[in-house]
Amino acid sequence: MKNLNYTELLKRNTQLSKSLRNKKYSVHVLSNIITAQLHEILEYTLRIDGIPAEVQSGDYNNIVQDSEKFRDSNLVIIFWELCNLVDGMQYEADLMNDAEVGAIFEKTTAEIALTLKNLTKTSLVLFNRFTALPFTNNAIHKTRLEELAECVNQYLTEIVSANANVRIVDVDKIIALVGSESSIDLRNYYSSKAFYTVKFFKAYSDYVKPFIFSANGKAKKALIFDCDDTLWKGILGEDGFDKIEMSPFTKDGSIFAEIQSLALSLNKQGVLLGLCSKNNPADVDQVLSEHPDMQIRDEHLTIKKVNWNDKVSNLCEIARELNIGLDSLVFVDDSDFEVNLVREQLLEVKVLQVSKRLYEYPNLIRENMGLFYELSKTAEDKKKITMYKEQLERKSARKAFENLGDYLASLDIEMTVFEDDKSIIPRMAQMSQKTNQFNLTTKRYTEGDITRFVEDDDIEVMAISVSDKYGNSGVTGLCIVNTDAVKKAAEIDTFFMSCRIIGRSIEYAFIDHVIHKLKNEGIEKVLARYCKTRKNEQVKEFYDSCGFTLLDSCDSKRSYDLYLDNYKPKEIKHIEIVNGKPD
Amino acid sequence: MENQIKERIKEVISAVFNVPVNIIDDRASPDTIESWDSLNHMNLVAALEEEFDVRLSDQEILEMQNFMLIISILKEHISL
Repeated sequence: MKNLNYTELLKRNTQLSKSLRNKKYSVHVLSNIITAQLHEILEYTLRIDGIPAEVQSGDYNNIVQDSEKFRDSNLVIIFWELCNLVDGMQYEADLMNDAEVGAIFEKTTAEIALTLKNLTKTSLVLFNRFTALPFTNNAIHKTRLEELAECVNQYLTEIVSANANVRIVDVDKIIALVGSESSIDLRNYYSSKAFYTVKFFKAYSDYVKPFIFSANGKAKKALIFDCDDTLWKGILGEDGFDKIEMSPFTKDGSIFAEIQSLALSLNKQGVLLGLCSKNNPADVDQVLSEHPDMQIRDEHLTIKKVNWNDKVSNLCEIARELNIGLDSLVFVDDSDFEVNLVREQLLEVKVLQVSKRLYEYPNLIRENMGLFYELSKTAEDKKKITMYKEQLERKSARKAFENLGDYLASLDIEMTVFEDDKSIIPRMAQMSQKTNQFNLTTKRYTEGDITRFVEDDDIEVMAISVSDKYGNSGVTGLCIVNTDAVKKAAEIDTFFMSCRIIGRSIEYAFIDHVIHKLKNEGIEKVLARYCKTRKNEQVKEFYDSCGFTLLDSCDSKRSYDLYLDNYKPKEIKHIEIVNGKPD
Repeated sequence: MENQIKERIKEVISAVFNVPVNIIDDRASPDTIESWDSLNHMNLVAALEEEFDVRLSDQEILEMQNFMLIISILKEHISL
């Protein structure tokens, strides 16, 4: 993006705007400076990756009022410039006495509190940290402006920790990346209160992209490496075990040592690692288990496709076996041939090519680490790696049974249901952002949204976790039902399950439970809906298979109803249902 | 050469104000292009500066209020 010329970007954005559908992802920028150039740059950044963004500004210097006006946007971005807290703040600050600075602090923090209060229900809020950098990076002594920035930022950090839907954007990092002189354009500041340059806004858009991707269920999940000249220097099959290099003590080796460390740090955060390499499997296994400089070992790898098949088929198999979409994969390879082949045939896979200037390779990985960013990091992510491995073991165990029924019965499956459980709100929000395939309506909710549902007596929030003799899937399914006790009717707003637990009829046990509960509450009729996305074809006829009546269907939607008296429970025998409190 | 520059400027104006290139003539100005307001004028300057790798003074930015003025001001910065 940083290399794309602004004029060209505007042209392409106009092109993209023609193909936008009615349903837009609305973004409002609230600010006390003019940020007009951000609009199209951010729109373009999001639109090229499938988020139909429409970016608009609030009124100039009207942040508090606008926070009320635009609380229903999908995303609110706040540019609150320290130097414009009062006119001439950047030069007034050092002349102010403690009381005067204190008064500005009081006023600003009170306004921040009010703004965030207004935005508690907004799905995602990006709040820029206050920065004194543009006016102070030549100052040898700490200035009043910097002190004020520190105090306000400290306040901001504390208050935001209570708002799960707010993320703080460290603008100083972006200014450092672009360079202070290239980030700020004071020509337009004195005349029209515009502050940042096009260059800054490009870097800003790239920087905040992961937050927005994650909120839209577009975070990447797995990082797949080729081996030769990608994880180590040299070609194993030709140079041999002793000649390949990944030692931190040699010039080229240290670069590959760094790559392996970066991969492991992603792995620690829950990113799946895998290999897709043309090599003899036994040779690679020997490196994994015996090479003294290897940091990535077999236990870190969720999947290995080391064979002589083409990489396109291997990557497809990887996606299938991990039960994730191709667009959840990032693939790293050094060869022009392989990189181009995958780029051409698998448009959804993000492909990174090992830099020709090898010293740039580690930063290439760093620049793309944001792709894996998850808004709500929870304990589940750490557990997930082992859980995927357990699932692969389960897949191989399946072969030994005569039929699926026998196999399922042997698993000792237990489904635990959590009702309106506050302790798992982050996990429920995270799932709603990430679950694509077994998802009937694909509504994305933030922690703020889910909190509201849990607290609302007319909304039932039911989550499930599934365990069997191999392990515990953690919280992996969610159903949200709006009920109307007066009309004795209900509507299923959300019903989804992680792909990790599909294929065991858990969906039927879950819907049995939901219907049973609603019936006990006196509900007589339930409405339900399937909304088509690019990924949820597999559940198109889910409600049909549960015995709901199809009322209406078009290409993008199917609506159903069900009179509860007519419902025939599936009573899945191999699943035991438990009412639970999570630990 | 001058024509080439003219065409590049037209491309920029067209992209910034979201109007077809063929309606931009020598008299193009905020009077003939509706979306040429003061906010978009900033975008125009940003785009022109990037396109021609120049840096304009605040006085020049204020003055370049029509197509011919843009050309004459840019000419002083780039060698034709």
